[in-house]
Amino acid sequence: MGSPIITATHVTKTFTEPVEFKVLNDISLTVDRGEFVVLVGPSGSGKTTLMYTLSTLDTEYDGTISIDGVDIRGLGKDAVADFRNSMIGFVFQFHYLLPDFTVLQNVMLPAQRRGILSAEEMEDRAMKTLSMLGVADQATKKSSKLSGGQQQRVAIARALINEPKIIFGDEPTGNLDTKNTGLVLDILNELKAEFNQTILMVTHDVQFARRADRIISIRDGRIVDNEEHYSPSSH
Amino acid sequence: MKKTSTRSPLLNIAWVHLISKKRQTIVAMLGVMFGVTVFIFQAGLLTGLQSYFIEKTVNTTAHVHIYNDVRVARPNVLDLESDTAGTWTMVRNQKPRDEERRLRNGYQILREIERDARVEGVAPYLGLQGILRYGMSQQAGTLAGIDVQREDQLFHVADNLIAGELVRMETLPNAVILGSGLAEKLGARLNDNITVISSRGVSLDMKVVGISKTGITLQDNTRAYISIRNAQRLLQQSAAYITDINVRLREVDIAQSIATEYQNVFGYKAEDWKAANANVFGIFRIQNLTVSFVIISILVVSGFGIFNILMTIIYEKMPDIAILKAMGYRDRDIRRVFLIESIAIGTTGGLLGLLLGFITSKIVGMIPLNIQGFVSVQYLIINFNPLFYLAAFGFALVSTTVAGYFPARKAARFDPVEIIRSR
Ligand SMILES: Nc1ncnc2c1ncn2[C@@H]1O[C@H](COP(=O)(O)OP(=O)(O)O)[C@@H](O)[C@H]1O
Ligand SMILES: [Mg+2]
Repeated sequence: MGSPIITATHVTKTFTEPVEFKVLNDISLTVDRGEFVVLVGPSGSGKTTLMYTLSTLDTEYDGTISIDGVDIRGLGKDAVADFRNSMIGFVFQFHYLLPDFTVLQNVMLPAQRRGILSAEEMEDRAMKTLSMLGVADQATKKSSKLSGGQQQRVAIARALINEPKIIFGDEPTGNLDTKNTGLVLDILNELKAEFNQTILMVTHDVQFARRADRIISIRDGRIVDNEEHYSPSSH
Repeated sequence: MKKTSTRSPLLNIAWVHLISKKRQTIVAMLGVMFGVTVFIFQAGLLTGLQSYFIEKTVNTTAHVHIYNDVRVARPNVLDLESDTAGTWTMVRNQKPRDEERRLRNGYQILREIERDARVEGVAPYLGLQGILRYGMSQQAGTLAGIDVQREDQLFHVADNLIAGELVRMETLPNAVILGSGLAEKLGARLNDNITVISSRGVSLDMKVVGISKTGITLQDNTRAYISIRNAQRLLQQSAAYITDINVRLREVDIAQSIATEYQNVFGYKAEDWKAANANVFGIFRIQNLTVSFVIISILVVSGFGIFNILMTIIYEKMPDIAILKAMGYRDRDIRRVFLIESIAIGTTGGLLGLLLGFITSKIVGMIPLNIQGFVSVQYLIINFNPLFYLAAFGFALVSTTVAGYFPARKAARFDPVEIIRSR
């Protein structure tokens, strides 16, 4: 096994509204580099909340989470934003593309924020990523003009543009038909197989779970099962 | 494609927001434009008229006016006699003395002032209220007894004549120059013979040798120039009798300090031109206040326009803001997007306002009007002072930035987790 890239220890999160309740209850887990981990559990069990805390979007919890050796809560707000910009890519259930921007402009947004590539390099990389996802021909269209499956693929391209160490997903196929779900799954598998991309996905989808290296099941904010899973991509 | 990628994403986002809300953006911009236009036009109009009045006043009235202030109550005559401290005296019905208005040694004072290097010219004056009669028509007026040459040197009497000649004031023994409004009311024209009657009951037949128009309505409607000698005759006084001395200075700005100095030296009331026109300057202040209030109100309203459009945009673009934050845009980046939007509206609206304000001022300045107010003018006098343009633009920028700041801050504080979760 590789070295851990995410380490969560005793993560507890409590909501006080509308009534006090522990949405995450003493969660400890690690995710290794290059691992494809799937988070499953019934609705309301805390999957999304856990994903937000692990991915630095939510920094209000007890316990510690470190990514790539960095304790996230030791960083200031801006530093967390910068960290997320260079280290983490997101794919949500909805694509969240900026509707009045072209596909290419959308994909380049994280790279422009990062600002380490020249405009040509950015565009070059964006086009390569788009063609890897099979939507390069849509580059100059407004994102709102694309089909749902195409939009989600553009969103994945946007998540990949800064070559993040981890991709987080929250039911990224939850809004897609079977065909597009298959496409997105294939893409994620390919990322894992070819680029050894670390992936952590929240899903309901059995099809999805079957391809993961590991499935973590949670219920009522606790990990109930954390099992190594045989899949063709784990050696 | 190259072009769009080199542009800063924040500018790009701001731009896209604004064009996606074209109509509202334009309305907000027009609001700012309107505010700036009103600012420029109003300020130009007001200060134009005011400085015209000031210039007229500086040219047509004394910079320092020396006279005997009869309002000063006479001290109790008995107090002047008895110096015993414990004594109590009272005099009832102590009337102002008749010669109270007179400047004793008036001509001596005049010659002394004339030697002052700061003084450009000095003229004696003897004014009285009288009745002017021409046939059946009769008007009350101010009979201004003047030393023609000195008065002309001070106030350019000849320049203001719209009919007649000043020399005839000196060549004819009984000559009068009528203010244009007075002549009109009287129905008298050049070379007509009129009668002038004083309160002492003295009447003189006089010939109209000139019509004068200064542009200051009050003066033109009531004043008639006569020689100082005739004024003395109307008042049955000797040749040394004068009531006022008018002084013109080389530098108007020092009028106040010179007035104080003369008052101390000569013991008579000496008033500078600003104090003499204090009521007018008071009205100016009120006008300025009113107009400032109107301008500020308009800019505040246009600020609300901007606030409104930005609030609409941020609520509509909440998912965009959330995803930008998720992909690592900082709070200040988000704040900047909306500040850029409000500044863009402010700048464009402001520049358009400058242009429209200038054009409006130019056009209004060309419309012939005959206004009879404090001053009578044919065209509105509009001040094109570049400072107004700078100030108007500055105000527009400040108010739009302030109006944009709060929505921008709100957007920057949005929690992406809440937004993404609530989908
Ligand atoms: N901001 C919040 N305030 C209070 N309760 C919340 C909030 N966000 C989520 N919850 C609750 O926390 C529980 C876990 O939510 P979530 O992590 O979204 O579950 P899952 O993704 O597994 O369906 C749910 O019962 C949800 O209603
Ligand atoms: Mg969920």
